[in-house]
Amino acid sequence: MKSVKSALISIFIVGGGQIYAGRLWTGIAFAVIFYGSILLMRNIWTGLNPAFWSIVGVWFLFWLYNIFDAYKGARLEQPPCERVCPAGIAPWVYINLIATESKEKYPFFPFFNILERICPAPCEDQCTRKIIDSAVAIKYLKSAVKTSEPAVSDKKRNKKVGIIGAGPCGLSAGYYLVNKGYSVTIYEKEEKPGGVLRTFIPEFRLSTQALENEIKKILDCGIELKCRTEVGKDISMDELLQKYDALFIATGAWEPVKMNIPGEEMCLNGLEVLKRIKQGEEFGIGQVGVIGGGNTAIDVARSLIRQGNKVTIYYRRRIEDMPAEHEDREEALEEGIKIIPLCLPRAVKKDRVVMVKTESPEGRLGEVKVIEGSEFEVKLDKLIMACGQKPKPDFLKPYVNIDEAGRIKTKDGRTSNPRIFAGGDAVLGSKTLAHAVGQAKETAESIDLSLRGIHPFIGRLLKKTYLPRVELLPIKDIPRIKIPHRNIEERKHDFLEVELRAKKEDLKKEADRCLVCPLRYRP
Amino acid sequence: MKRIVQIIFLIIHNSYIPAFFSGGIYQGVLKRYCTPILNCWGCPLAWYSCPIGALQHFIGLRFIPFYILGFFGTVGIVIGRMSCGWLCPFGFLQDILYKIRSYKFKLPAGCSYLKYVILIGVVVIITYLTGEPWFCKLCPDGSLIAGIPLVLADKTGDLRTLVGWHYYMKIAILIFILLGSISIKRFFCRTFCPIGAIFSIFNRLSLLRIRVDKEKCADCGACQMVCPMDVPIYKSSNHIDCIRCLDCIKHCPSHAITYEIR
Repeated sequence: MKSVKSALISIFIVGGGQIYAGRLWTGIAFAVIFYGSILLMRNIWTGLNPAFWSIVGVWFLFWLYNIFDAYKGARLEQPPCERVCPAGIAPWVYINLIATESKEKYPFFPFFNILERICPAPCEDQCTRKIIDSAVAIKYLKSAVKTSEPAVSDKKRNKKVGIIGAGPCGLSAGYYLVNKGYSVTIYEKEEKPGGVLRTFIPEFRLSTQALENEIKKILDCGIELKCRTEVGKDISMDELLQKYDALFIATGAWEPVKMNIPGEEMCLNGLEVLKRIKQGEEFGIGQVGVIGGGNTAIDVARSLIRQGNKVTIYYRRRIEDMPAEHEDREEALEEGIKIIPLCLPRAVKKDRVVMVKTESPEGRLGEVKVIEGSEFEVKLDKLIMACGQKPKPDFLKPYVNIDEAGRIKTKDGRTSNPRIFAGGDAVLGSKTLAHAVGQAKETAESIDLSLRGIHPFIGRLLKKTYLPRVELLPIKDIPRIKIPHRNIEERKHDFLEVELRAKKEDLKKEADRCLVCPLRYRP
Repeated sequence: MKRIVQIIFLIIHNSYIPAFFSGGIYQGVLKRYCTPILNCWGCPLAWYSCPIGALQHFIGLRFIPFYILGFFGTVGIVIGRMSCGWLCPFGFLQDILYKIRSYKFKLPAGCSYLKYVILIGVVVIITYLTGEPWFCKLCPDGSLIAGIPLVLADKTGDLRTLVGWHYYMKIAILIFILLGSISIKRFFCRTFCPIGAIFSIFNRLSLLRIRVDKEKCADCGACQMVCPMDVPIYKSSNHIDCIRCLDCIKHCPSHAITYEIR
């Protein structure tokens, strides 16, 4: 509200809105340049000529900039943690709230406490503190942040939005849209909402209780949820398009990627195994091999070792190139899982697998070369494939453009059909929870703009920036916090969460380590 | 340190106090010498001449300006664009204007090359064809420190009668540059300045160089954050826009940036 008021003041008095918003010197400088130049022109006025209109033009530009600035507020440089966050969280702001023990609350963010558990934390890879000793434990600090309650808007817009898929992306988009005053209905084919988080993520990484709490918070904002309704089977796309003003597709990526090797039909699929374990099935296989290096592979291996199997992971690149979370990999090694890098399966036979050695000199994204003639055999009771998943939106083919990999083509969430929007894994392929939430936020804004009939470019100008009040704190020489884990022997046999929540005092100390780099390295 | 040097040089360059009483400009021996910065010689307080003004003067007379070219070459080959960062008063003004807390924009990368268009188009070709120093006629520094004070302090009223569409144009450009410098880091230096354009050619050759130790560098981007020219130093250390202000060396958290004299 303050930003609108200062913009209004700035329309009439150049620099007034800035002074009203508490930026005294900015306001004075703006006023001096603007009114100073008018005074100067009065002083040297020698009559009207065409060049005078160029001055009027520049004054107009200045006036526009002044209103824009009053509305948006001063912006600091984005620090690396905010720049790389796929979800669009500003970690340095909440860290500063903890460090200064501020009473202010961080705005509600869907799945905030889940991100603490299952985010690969690209922010920590980029943290500036890493140069002094090691990165701030940005991910774990989330449990010490006070977030405000989910905001429900009082104004109601007379428009309806349908969402397909109650996964993390669909649910968060639902929250943002309800927040803007639309009535939202989510269609889900499974029995309960939660998508990938509920079906595949094993209990020891994310407890169902934590997930339920988070989903309840979002659904309580007034979202209508229709479970066990599959679009294309129970209800058709045309019907939905008739019923709703806009449709948001967040169907995710559930189709496993195949390797196309002989004997693949004898293998189990990683996603299938995770789903069945979560439903309570026991796998007593014996000697198991898992193919893949992503989170799915590690999760499958760790789930199976908890049921008394012996597990080995085979990965085609080097161990350090694995896309899985670094910490999960370490925990898996501690629990007694073997990882054999640089090999690929060639053929699957009844009780053994033919492997071939590979080399991958270029690292994570480089090509993988097979070394011919280096085949070797491994005795395995079962091989499990966990080499990625992709979206499969067959029922959407007549409505939107889809690329070869099965992903829906979008721009800021808008598909080729002006009334259909898409986000999450259905657009990105298989990515993280943070990506899904970030896309949901972006797409919800696109939907809002399109339903109000505003051009996306103007929408970008009107977008409000969250204005944090951050303080510069002295650099403190404290080592990085050690997150408590449950004892290896104990955790190896059950499915309770492995990571424990750290104490509030320890987290406060950890927050003190943040350099607040945007303030410290200001030009 | 940088700020102190900038203030001292501002005073050294612009301190012809008698101008306050006479209302005229200094026309003595020192005006024959130029300094490697943009500071209008028409300013009542200025002691020295502006190299781009002198260059255009000779181009306008259709001489080859050996003295000015040699001057640019000598300074450029030794320190590159360092004088822009440490001595230039107009650059100093832009640094101060950027400190105003307002909404900031980023300049698209291609704009850096616009200054070569200005250098070749306005300073060389148009000046050669018309015989008049057209860059000086539009230069925002000229209007700020020479044009406006001279007209305001004019006692006889001769200058005021000359104020016309051209003078209005200059003021429009000045306001535009001031607006740009508030919202964009060193807007004028990066997009328009022909002196910067000449020195930037020597940036890759000069004796003084910036070196980034790739082993230590963590790609954190702190150098670009503090850089007054918004140069991604961790990606390209002797970029055409590097003005050797050495702020990045001071602020690099991993001490990966050093300067070397070869």
